[in-house]
Amino acid sequence: MGSALYSTSTKYLYLTSQSPPVVSVDAWLIFTVILGFWMAWNIGANDVANSMGTAVGAKAITPKQAAVIAGVMNFTGAYFFGKSVTETIRKGILNVGMIHDPWIIVYGSLAALLAASIWLIFATYNGLPVSTTHSIIGGVVGYGLVYAGTSIVDWGKLGQVVMSWILSPILGAIVAYFVFKAVKRSILARADPLRSARHWAPFWIGLAFVVIGTMFYIKVLHGSNLLKGVVLYGVPTGIVIFVLSYALIRVHFRPSDPYIGVESIFRKVQVVTSAYVALAHGSNDVANAVGPIAAAYAVITMGMSGMKVPVPRWVLVLGGLGIAVGIFMYGYKVMETVGKKITELTNTRGFSIDFSAATVILVASWLGMPISTTHTVVGAVIGVGLARGVKAINKDIVRDIVISWFITVPVAAVISAVIFKFLVLVG
Amino acid sequence: MQVWTKLFAKSPFKPLIKHSEVVLKTVETLERALQLWYGGDYEEMAGLAVEVDRLEDVADRIKEEIRDSLSSKLMMAVAREDVLIYLHMQDKVADAAEDTAKWLLIKKPDGVPTEIRDIILQMGMESINAAKLVHEAIVQMDRVIESGFTEGEIKREYEIIRGIESVENRIDALDTRLMQLVFENADSMSWGDGFYILNIARTLSNISDKAKDAAERIRLMMNK
Repeated sequence: MGSALYSTSTKYLYLTSQSPPVVSVDAWLIFTVILGFWMAWNIGANDVANSMGTAVGAKAITPKQAAVIAGVMNFTGAYFFGKSVTETIRKGILNVGMIHDPWIIVYGSLAALLAASIWLIFATYNGLPVSTTHSIIGGVVGYGLVYAGTSIVDWGKLGQVVMSWILSPILGAIVAYFVFKAVKRSILARADPLRSARHWAPFWIGLAFVVIGTMFYIKVLHGSNLLKGVVLYGVPTGIVIFVLSYALIRVHFRPSDPYIGVESIFRKVQVVTSAYVALAHGSNDVANAVGPIAAAYAVITMGMSGMKVPVPRWVLVLGGLGIAVGIFMYGYKVMETVGKKITELTNTRGFSIDFSAATVILVASWLGMPISTTHTVVGAVIGVGLARGVKAINKDIVRDIVISWFITVPVAAVISAVIFKFLVLVG
Repeated sequence: MQVWTKLFAKSPFKPLIKHSEVVLKTVETLERALQLWYGGDYEEMAGLAVEVDRLEDVADRIKEEIRDSLSSKLMMAVAREDVLIYLHMQDKVADAAEDTAKWLLIKKPDGVPTEIRDIILQMGMESINAAKLVHEAIVQMDRVIESGFTEGEIKREYEIIRGIESVENRIDALDTRLMQLVFENADSMSWGDGFYILNIARTLSNISDKAKDAAERIRLMMNK
């Protein structure tokens, strides 16, 4: 059964799959870590452009700056905010109680990671707006089905998860619609748009930090009282940032066209909101790489698949690092292309998209909903479009998203099932 | 990544403005041609009239390009049909200018009484002015969208549109006067001269007519 793919150490495993010896433990662990890192790398390489696309496209930041911001903020988001979603994916979809051999979780996690990565690369190459989140869920369901049939899948939970995917672009669209309307009413429709922009831009930046501050309380300090989080952390952070940005945002010139002035202010605002999106992206999507590693790690080191296994800090570091490396190695190039392709996006629109998407993603991630960053951002673009803010959007993209809903999970599940079967045979 | 390269389509407004610039150039050339015609400088006028014809061809080509690029799969700030019909009307402005140029070329205006020439020149200036305002209107429409359809910009657009529409009344008055003059001078002119004059007048007022239709479409774009 031993495959040429596997080293001698895996052969030990084959002999003693129930309680593997120390030597093979290292091999499996290393294998899991490498695959998890690769998945994170894929997120950085292929997915990050989705969160930075608007800022680069609206020329608020260069691709180089985008890579630095995305790298740092994705890492920060992954490390500090990336926990609650991990739990949902890992525990919710499959009934862990039905897995009698804990090593199944190791094989399964590997299969899910590998399947998701393969599908992601294939889909990205073919221009489908797939979600890393959906891919990994498909992978998990796939190995579950092969192992124990349909009964192991918690279909109710899976249904909720699927609902949250459909909801993510819709929520992104609704929030973006109102944010753009608010920007229009408070700034663009005023007699002196430039003056209004100077007053209102710090408000929006402040508002983003109210969300970030609250998330800090909930995710990092593990607070449970939302009101307390908002009042003690969110609002004060927001106010400090509001005052700071109010002092910093100055208009150094009086342009003949007030809208040019407004856009130049929002170009600065977008530097902040793009970081906000990257933070949200890191916190939401790192779970896709980290979740399976954490599950496998728990089994390998403790020999069990507990209901509640903590995600070790180093695993989050690994995920964040993987994303950052992916960004610098490949995502950077993707952003260069994006910057050249998007020519019609202005900063007020870019801001509305960024702000709305990041807020929806962060709040959803707090609620434990594994939503798709890509789809939320696209939803936000459509929301601004519905508010007549974007001159032309390709409606085809909506069709592509719906297609990707229907094929990502089954395809990732099938790939994962095949890999899982193979691993069980060799393992 | 490809999400982003696909998501945003090219706005039709920049090409529309480009088309409008050519139309503007066409009517401006016709304006100069008409002045030369009035002054009796037939040779130089003929050169400009041919140029009007060439510019109309350029406008036509841009129109085709825009039409081909406006896929029904686009979600736009304004309805696709409004853009297409507007484009059609804007192009008709250049067509009408070309029609006038053709009639100007038919013969030398030697037999045309001065008072009739006066009125034709006046009609021409008014009509061409309406066509120039169409260019302003489409540039302003781009601004209306840029502002997110704010009231101030919409108001400014309505002012331009009203400017275009008001030309119509003045042209009508001039047209009636012209017809009267043609019939009053029926004895001193050949039937050919009469035919010639009335056709120049008809094609000239057609320019403002199409300008008005284009303006009407911009109204609809804003009212979506």
